[in-house]
Amino acid sequence: MAQTKRSMLIDPLVDNNPITLQVLGICSALAVTSSLQVSFVMAIAVTFVTAFSSMFISMLRNHIPGAIRIIVQMVIIASLVILVDQVLKAYAYEISKTLSVFVGLIITNCIVMGRAEAFAMKNPPVASFIDGIGNGLGYGLILMLVGFIRELFGSGSLFGLTVLPTINNGGWYLPNGMLLLPPSAFFIIGLLIWAFRTWKPEQVEEREYKIQTVEAH
Amino acid sequence: MPDVSGNNNKGFIRRFLDLPPDSVPKTVFVAVTLCLVASMIVSAAAVALRPVQEINKLRDKQVNILQVAGRYDPAVDITEAFAEFEPHVLELETGEFTDAFDAATFDDRAAADDPATSVALEDDPASIGRKAKFVTVYLLRNDDGSLDKVILPIHGYGLWSTLYGYIALEENANDIYGLQFYSHAETPGLGAEVDNPRWKSLWRGKKLADDSGELLITVAKTAPPEGEDYHVDALAGATLTTVGVDNLVRFWMGEAGYAPFLENVKAGEI
Amino acid sequence: MGLRNFFDRIEPHFVKGGRYEKLFPVYEMVESFIYTPKTVTTAAPHARSYVDMKRIMTYVVIATIPCILVGLYNVGFQVNSAIAVHGASGWRAFIIEALGIGFDPANPFANFVHGALYFLPIYITTLVVGGIWEVIFATVRGHEVNEGFLVTSMLYALILPPSAPLWQVALGISFGVVIGKEVFGGTGKNFLNPALTGRAFLYFAYPAQMSGDTIWTPVDGFSGATALSIGASDGYQQLAAHGVTWMDAFLGFIQGSIGETSTLACLIGLAFLLLTKIANWRLVVGCLIGMIGFSSLLNLIGSDSNPMFAMPWYWHLVVGGYAFGLAFMVTEPVSASHTNLGRYIYGALIGFMVVMIRVINPAFPEGMMLAILFGNVFAPLIDYFVVQANIKRRAKRNA
Repeated sequence: MAQTKRSMLIDPLVDNNPITLQVLGICSALAVTSSLQVSFVMAIAVTFVTAFSSMFISMLRNHIPGAIRIIVQMVIIASLVILVDQVLKAYAYEISKTLSVFVGLIITNCIVMGRAEAFAMKNPPVASFIDGIGNGLGYGLILMLVGFIRELFGSGSLFGLTVLPTINNGGWYLPNGMLLLPPSAFFIIGLLIWAFRTWKPEQVEEREYKIQTVEAH
Repeated sequence: MPDVSGNNNKGFIRRFLDLPPDSVPKTVFVAVTLCLVASMIVSAAAVALRPVQEINKLRDKQVNILQVAGRYDPAVDITEAFAEFEPHVLELETGEFTDAFDAATFDDRAAADDPATSVALEDDPASIGRKAKFVTVYLLRNDDGSLDKVILPIHGYGLWSTLYGYIALEENANDIYGLQFYSHAETPGLGAEVDNPRWKSLWRGKKLADDSGELLITVAKTAPPEGEDYHVDALAGATLTTVGVDNLVRFWMGEAGYAPFLENVKAGEI
Repeated sequence: MGLRNFFDRIEPHFVKGGRYEKLFPVYEMVESFIYTPKTVTTAAPHARSYVDMKRIMTYVVIATIPCILVGLYNVGFQVNSAIAVHGASGWRAFIIEALGIGFDPANPFANFVHGALYFLPIYITTLVVGGIWEVIFATVRGHEVNEGFLVTSMLYALILPPSAPLWQVALGISFGVVIGKEVFGGTGKNFLNPALTGRAFLYFAYPAQMSGDTIWTPVDGFSGATALSIGASDGYQQLAAHGVTWMDAFLGFIQGSIGETSTLACLIGLAFLLLTKIANWRLVVGCLIGMIGFSSLLNLIGSDSNPMFAMPWYWHLVVGGYAFGLAFMVTEPVSASHTNLGRYIYGALIGFMVVMIRVINPAFPEGMMLAILFGNVFAPLIDYFVVQANIKRRAKRNA
């Protein structure tokens, strides 16, 4: 591989971000980002699962039969996810109540499957592990950005600490209720993609068609 | 065939590993081994962590009861603080405690689903479908043994979800000390403001019924003619969650709910 | 003509290579507002007539005049009536007292003035904030400022409750213009109605300020439900008991958003748009059929627990934003379907969805805004299937 370990780790943050460039893993990015704390735990959980599932799949890659390839990957990912879920339930009960189904849904997170299929099946374990961490962090970065905006303007707090005292609690800030609803993450992620592509124009896809214009006459 | 003779020197697993990945025996081998290993890891984790998880669940419930009774202090051990509370299994119809179940292990939710311990509701303002005949209630006593507070579980349907919570009453079984929901999925920012401490604090000191025993408590935008003592302000912008809370409180405090028990408390029989 | 000379003289500064090249859109906006533009439209909406896009937009604004007038009167009337009970306060009351106009709800002039004091701040905020966004995008992208914004801003201001705080007005129009229109490329490329997008944003972001009983008449202590929320809680038969007759609702003297209350004014505007062929009648027919058909069906089905089932179609027509949406939003050419058959389907879908949301959904008493946005999303799909069906039919015929 021409890629260095460093670029494997750094590239998925901005240049090849799984959410903003590949548009994967959107479901959980919408669902869990209404508070920073939950986003943070989710980011760690996904990074853990992506890194270790990539590593294990890479270790087994020469023995995995093509016919049951996807199922094997799923079993490994699912086991790791259950592990994460159990640990959260045991040691971070409050957060696991909010994350509940979304931890389970990491199994179907396209980023995990995507890295397993696209990278880990063809690369050695250490590289796969680093690639998994990098992609998990890229996902986490966006989650934290979205969570930051949603919690700050939706509840007036960051990590549960009040920053803008809300009217309901005797302050002056009127929270934006839409930011508490999952669809708002669509707008924020869309705007982030816009910002990223303005910053790095090479990320802009080519038009699939050309808009016809009429010459003035 | 040199290959075959070579195999004799290898172990059983090695022989499978050397097979081409797409052969049938290898496929079966990988599938079976992986499933075995994965299920072992998963069940080991589940079994090893279960005690901690159970404690979490229990503590969560206890914290909610402590909070609604105003006894929650993060510095004090929860189990210790909770020891003050007396759990009892209550038979709703008679309003008396029963010894048929162990209060420490009685599962309210399971009892509400079991046809043997629940009834289907005809008149169902709280939209809960089935009502358990038995529920776990908690008593809090003063040092001299007299009753201090009664904590009763309540639940009912709001806009999107069933709200589960507790209501704490003073020793006269008429004044509300607090109300708290621990599980719901109402709209964030609107119905979910049932969790707002300011709104919850509105409940303190409200009365359920007037002197004649008529249930008057309402959750609404405007106060009933009987006055503010029986009125909790509605949640701003969350009409249907408010209606749901109103219905469920009135249902559980009414004849179909805890009224017989509250009568017994008032009569000093508890 | 001095003015024309003035424009001709300063134009070189703004065209390519000029000193203020970047500000060309601003120049173009002012110039073409006064004179017929020199260029033709390059993207939809296309008009094949002497009526250019600027005139279409102007006609739509003209069509809203009855709604504005009734709206001003009604806001003032409602406020003045409430003031008679609850007393006056705030800067508006100060101005009115200073002018010596008074708060008599029987005096139409006093009502107009008081209504205008609510409407104008909202409208001016909309124009300024939305205008700034328009100019920014026009400048960055180097296209002209689109006059469609005049329509958007007027419609947006008319569908807000009179008590809307101005910072929320500004936030809503920003969202409507940027997310509803500019991210898709600007006027003619937006598949959502920008005014409704902004309104929907406010509706979900600040529900307490956008729905409820205390916002429609901004007087302290006054509470008045809209006809729809009375209908949802007590049934339409009870409306009269709350002082709302069908004629009140038809003429517009009820609680509601500034320009939405009067069905009559909306219908006058609609008639004007239909006569000038700016609105397509198929959209209107489809929307009426959908609404009348589905509400009649629900009348037949009936429900013991939900009083809205019984609301007949002629009530659905006059309450809430149905008439306003029908006149100015369903008929909006850019976000509607573009095929004739598609227009019937598009209209009917909206009519059906309005009743669906109003009657069956427990969370939202009003459904027009959401129904139209829903229709907007489906419009291209409807067109696609209509065109495909057409292609298939022709292929068969010529096979």
